[in-house]
Amino acid sequence: MAAKVASGTNKVFQNHDDVHISFEDQQRINRFAKHNARMDDFKAELETKRSELKSLEEALEEIELFDEDEDIPFLDMLKETKEQVLKEIAGVEAKTKVIKAEMDELKAHLYQRFGSNISLEAED
Amino acid sequence: MTGIMDSVEMPKLPENQKTFAGIPEAVFLEEIDTFMSQPENENCEKVLQRLDEQHGKYRFMACNLEARRRKLKSQIPDLERSLEMVNVLRKEDEERETQFLLSDQVFIKTLVPPTKTVYLWLGASVMLEYPLDEAEALLNQNITSAVGNLKSVEHDQDFLRDQITTTEVNMARVYNWGVKKRQAATKTTATTPA
Repeated sequence: MAAKVASGTNKVFQNHDDVHISFEDQQRINRFAKHNARMDDFKAELETKRSELKSLEEALEEIELFDEDEDIPFLDMLKETKEQVLKEIAGVEAKTKVIKAEMDELKAHLYQRFGSNISLEAED
Repeated sequence: MTGIMDSVEMPKLPENQKTFAGIPEAVFLEEIDTFMSQPENENCEKVLQRLDEQHGKYRFMACNLEARRRKLKSQIPDLERSLEMVNVLRKEDEERETQFLLSDQVFIKTLVPPTKTVYLWLGASVMLEYPLDEAEALLNQNITSAVGNLKSVEHDQDFLRDQITTTEVNMARVYNWGVKKRQAATKTTATTPA
């Protein structure tokens, strides 16, 4: 499972400072937690796609070394697939960026609101 | 090939429901003092225990949903690959020499004649022959429903995560409320004896 954001008793509000949590605050915390989980998904997705890309590139490099007249079936498809994977990686990266931006915003807001009473760092 | 994730919409939610699985909603505590003064919440420990139980149930649901999601996530690329293959087969109009994997590390040369039909695994060790068009239609239909299911599972996961986070925050708040209460109590006993 994803990294915990507001994990129970030991995390969110530790000390005596009486901070009132409004419904909006709660929703912001929820949003942050959700984004955080999604971020982990994207990271995993990127990893698989990058390794796929690596295999494709290695295959293509290997083929480069062959004789010119060697007939490789489906070479075009291989190239197309590589382009496709590149595009998919770019797509996921773009999505990550959007989420990261919103997370930073939420983080700034929540830290300003709750200071050291809240911990929003990923535990890795 | 791509785009299917964007083109398929999430199925409609059941009426008056926020989730497909009917996940109960965690209640946000507007005022902790009001909440704790309710008759059933007189004992801080008991409230925490109740919240913890609820938290455990949510986590259990989260596990189930995650398992479903993972399954769908692995199904979709498989279906996409099959669909791609159908389209490759359709374009083939002459015999093609190629190698195929006979067993580990052993490839064998073969001639593939153009074909109008293809065999699809239906699961449970059943394979069925389909004309290319029908295979495509079937695969498309399966992809659409898989993506739809994936989207509803992800929707439920998002909702569930909100409930988990809310419950966690509730637990922290109740716990702190208890700590404060005890601190206040010791303070009064410390000051009164004089």
